[in-house]
Amino acid sequence: MKEFSIVGKDVPRTDAEAKARGSALYTDDIRLPGTLHGRILRSPIAHGIIKNIDTSKALKLPGVKCVLTAEDTPKVKYGNWRLFPETQDEYPLAVDKVRFIGDEVAAVAAIDRDTAEEALDLIEVEYEELPAVFDVASSIAQGAPVIHEYCPSNISVNRKIKYGDIEKGFAESDYVREDTFKFQAISHAYLEPCSALAQVDLDGRITLWTSTQTPYIVQCLLASTLGMRENDIRIIKPYVGGGFGGKMELRTWEFCAALMAKKTGRPVKFTLDRQEEFLAGRRRHPMTIRSKVGFKKDGTLVSKDLRIQLDGGAYNAMGPTATFLCGNFGAMLYRYPNYRFLGEHIYTNKPPASAMRGFGAPQSLYASEVQMNIAAEELGIDPVDIRLKNAQVSGDKIPDVATISSCGFSESIQAVAEMSGWREKRKSLKPGQGIGIGCYSFISGGVFNWFNTQYPFSAAEVRVFSDGTAHLLTMASDIGQGSDTALKQILAEELGLRMEDIRLTTADTAMTPQGDLGTWGSRVTLMAGNAVIDAARKIKQQLFGAVSARFNLNVIHDIECKNGRVQATARHDYGMSFGDAVAMVQKANRGEPLVARGSYTPRGKGLVTPAFGFGAQIAEIEVDKETGLVKVKNMWTAHDCGTVINPRSVEGQLAGSIQMGLGYALSEQMIMDGGKTLSLDFADYKMPTAMDMPPSEVVHVDTFEPEGPMGAKETGEGLASPTAPAISEAVYHATGYRCKDLPITPEKILNATRDKAE
Amino acid sequence: MKHNIRIVVNGDEYCLAVDPWKTLNEVIREDLNLTGTKLGCGTGDCGACAVIVDGKAVSSCLTLAVSVDGKSIKTVEGLAPSGEELHPIQESFVETGAIQCGFCTSGMEMAAFHLLSNNPSPTDLEIRKGLSGHLCRCTGYNQIVEAISLAANKMQGCHCKKEES
Amino acid sequence: MRLPRFEYFAPKTLEASLELLGQKGDGAFVMAGGTDMMVKMSHGRLKPRTIINLKEIPELHYIKFNPQNGLEIGSTALLSEVLNHADIIEHYPALIQAVQTMANIEVRNMATLAGNLCNAAPSADSAPPLMVMDAEVSLVSSRAKRKVKLMDFFLGPGATVKNVDEIMTAITLPAPRPQTGASYMRISARCGVDIAAAGVGVAIRLESEVLAEARIVLGAVAPVPLRAVKAEAALVGRQFDPETVQYAAQMASEEASPISDVRATRDYRKSMVAVLAKRAISEAYERSHARHS
Repeated sequence: MKEFSIVGKDVPRTDAEAKARGSALYTDDIRLPGTLHGRILRSPIAHGIIKNIDTSKALKLPGVKCVLTAEDTPKVKYGNWRLFPETQDEYPLAVDKVRFIGDEVAAVAAIDRDTAEEALDLIEVEYEELPAVFDVASSIAQGAPVIHEYCPSNISVNRKIKYGDIEKGFAESDYVREDTFKFQAISHAYLEPCSALAQVDLDGRITLWTSTQTPYIVQCLLASTLGMRENDIRIIKPYVGGGFGGKMELRTWEFCAALMAKKTGRPVKFTLDRQEEFLAGRRRHPMTIRSKVGFKKDGTLVSKDLRIQLDGGAYNAMGPTATFLCGNFGAMLYRYPNYRFLGEHIYTNKPPASAMRGFGAPQSLYASEVQMNIAAEELGIDPVDIRLKNAQVSGDKIPDVATISSCGFSESIQAVAEMSGWREKRKSLKPGQGIGIGCYSFISGGVFNWFNTQYPFSAAEVRVFSDGTAHLLTMASDIGQGSDTALKQILAEELGLRMEDIRLTTADTAMTPQGDLGTWGSRVTLMAGNAVIDAARKIKQQLFGAVSARFNLNVIHDIECKNGRVQATARHDYGMSFGDAVAMVQKANRGEPLVARGSYTPRGKGLVTPAFGFGAQIAEIEVDKETGLVKVKNMWTAHDCGTVINPRSVEGQLAGSIQMGLGYALSEQMIMDGGKTLSLDFADYKMPTAMDMPPSEVVHVDTFEPEGPMGAKETGEGLASPTAPAISEAVYHATGYRCKDLPITPEKILNATRDKAE
Repeated sequence: MKHNIRIVVNGDEYCLAVDPWKTLNEVIREDLNLTGTKLGCGTGDCGACAVIVDGKAVSSCLTLAVSVDGKSIKTVEGLAPSGEELHPIQESFVETGAIQCGFCTSGMEMAAFHLLSNNPSPTDLEIRKGLSGHLCRCTGYNQIVEAISLAANKMQGCHCKKEES
Repeated sequence: MRLPRFEYFAPKTLEASLELLGQKGDGAFVMAGGTDMMVKMSHGRLKPRTIINLKEIPELHYIKFNPQNGLEIGSTALLSEVLNHADIIEHYPALIQAVQTMANIEVRNMATLAGNLCNAAPSADSAPPLMVMDAEVSLVSSRAKRKVKLMDFFLGPGATVKNVDEIMTAITLPAPRPQTGASYMRISARCGVDIAAAGVGVAIRLESEVLAEARIVLGAVAPVPLRAVKAEAALVGRQFDPETVQYAAQMASEEASPISDVRATRDYRKSMVAVLAKRAISEAYERSHARHS
């Protein structure tokens, strides 16, 4: 392994001190003189035609400055899949029809929030209610109400994958099983409610501060929905209080803030409240997964037939990508010689589901991991051994996807089994106690260009100065995961500077280089990291030229940037300070500043991802047999994220993933009554607390990803998947209850164990 | 009718006229522009809005501003003893990686401040209980627990030094 | 999330607050910790025209205990003060069990027992243990004072026998008697902040080894905290043994009439009542043994 001086070290996060002091500004913290406050009127019905909207009373309320309905807008549809315009199915404000409880119908801006809210009550909307559907089966049944006119089947996207011959595979299998799994919706539950603040400058251009993961996507879609030019819109991402996939689209409040700012000439701010976030916010897809797998007697996988229906809710949102990826996650972890996938994205009259940490992987991998555990038991093989037998290894080719470059999966399985005392505990635990394993594989960013950008996927600009400092500009968006720190570490390492020598400007579409597709799919470290290195190397070439000329170096000399110097690697005295080298280059170029652009767009990596992360996790739990309550006592994880850029951050990502996985497995669900979300606050949406978190141990398996920056690849998103199947297997081990419909509630455990006893 | 209230926030006295239905959270954020205190839920379930009123941690979203007339309030901005140096709690949060998105951080730090004022050397379980009203979606809490434990050590260290001198 | 428009008063004496309450009539509400009221108001479920804050009244802010007269908790004593009170910890552990599960530290630094009772949520954690320990509440109006058994206090979700012109000034518990013990057990989906899906309070008194008296109250399984009369009867006059406890727990479960909601289903709640009752009876029994003198 290569030795680094800053990469791989526990460097404190660059934003930590500001956040610890409370001085880091999030969107709602920004104050502009004269700001108006906006609120959104939402549909109270799940499906209906808007017959009439009367805003006259609201407009008359003192303090109200602007009321918007679709009639005041250009009525342009948007969606993230620009490559397939027919999938763009959403208007910023409902046109003619509402499709879920919470659908945005109108907006008010007033001198304060209370007045705006009061005005919402004065808007009179006349609806003609239509029959509605709340599950995929009813939605695709004969004669079901059509939710979008363009899509009479209610199946908005389908994706097929096929290789090998599954029927032949099943015929050759010794053991074939088929299971159906069902998944609940859960909330991203980022702590910072969505917020946007728009300002119009003197020549009519818009600046929008917004809590987003994808400034570039917001810029483009805001331009198209407002009928403006992209360059007339500037998106700034302030500090963001978490996203997890829930903040990666254009949202109504961003559009309304911008349009209202234009109409009133005053800044307009929208901040959602938590109830709205739960009522209408994006969520993880409910799914039905039917999976048929065939094995040889010795546990070798032969064939898999996977059918997934995603309950997309009322709009596509990021559902098409989730549909696409579910099929890949279905065959990413193990070698499946014969594989078929059919994924369907189905509309229902519920709040739209979208991307959420894992992007289809938590569901898809839960199904495949639970099936591995069942198969292991029925074939009489240890769950660890059946995985080792089928695990992908470096050099394996996933048909139609890519050849896996680095892969520490088998090492992860072995490491986690050892550190947890798996083989001993599997045999010796007391009744009511259990231990279980779950694994994952995940992408390091996506290749398929659904947004149809003409820019590089990630870009960076590096400016260096004669005082020995550098300025890194990139549109990469830190939403709390720590990418600002990681990118700074990468640049500091590459240029031989210290963290404090680097100034950072990020996520401002008018100031940072185009483009960047945003923070999702674990793409930032690999893609933006590569762009930073690309820019840094261009700078270094020029610095090396200057040093070489200054010392008249033999052409065979290697030159390096290290410890604030640019020097011959073998003769440090043939060198000078970083700043002096910059000055020399500038002088040789008639004073031109030394600046370089770098970029990254995957090449020759198929259509899915440039690199894969892997890992394995083991959970030890205890079940109260009378109440059915599960206590998770320990978690062990071994994973392969390539080079670890910042160990503390990676461990933080891991613990956060466990928290989310724990909730997904045991307690979190959006409870619905038809189209109405009932869990509307944190008292009823049961996210794990500090008391619920188990201790956790981790091993980073040492690999080097050739496609990644300094060998790094994804971490933190893949880790959202193994926790639920590991806990599920542990619950089975403890009680004999095998859960195929998350979450694993105490009641399900009790019912199952009672049935067994009877 | 607006009420005149006098409050001391982080050592500074403010006289304000507030509507009775304004929450302490609104007054701190909107009137005093102390935006380090966050609003995460508005129902007292997430802890992001915690502040210290007369020595006790409370949810500022559930407190009417009129009801704190005459009281002394500490927000995250008042945690660091001088403008420059961090409070040991803040320092520990930075050092242990207890901060990711940071939105829960100020509330967590106020909870830690309250806890350590009442219990200078808490156990792991006591720290977790002390955070039971504080939600975090990023860190999985473990590094936050570690931070508070580290802060307790640092603060005891300070205390001992003082006693010696 | 908009709070309604109301006028606000923070009188310094009980007398002044009673006068105000009478004067303002309908639409006037007294507030102690305000943690329930604030949530209700922001969800539009409560629209007071007047709020009278009791927290500035020194005479309501106290906790008094003596071994002869028992415990008296003033209506603005904080939950956190109850939780940290040495005498309550020693003599009324069932109350501590309830209070420590209520909400979280910040809310316990604001909220009060009186507020929890007046809010009259079926899931109110403090009600079952207080009821089984024979608590009384003092209700005062400008015309009269009365004491009401907490057993008779609740009428339905959000409804109590307290008249609109009355203020709850105190909660009293009798002095702990020899050979008595009480316990409160509850269940919810996670360890931290949560609302009970079911709770059971039990108090018993032994005469030598016979269960002479028993009180069992179930929380969150009926419109009001529910006294499980049949379960009590199943214990009285018997010795403590597994079959008796099991049978009483079964009775309690049958008496419960919960609904299914976002927190739990009816069936789960019913079966949890049996589990919690069994555990609470056992703990109350152990405590009654420990308290011999």
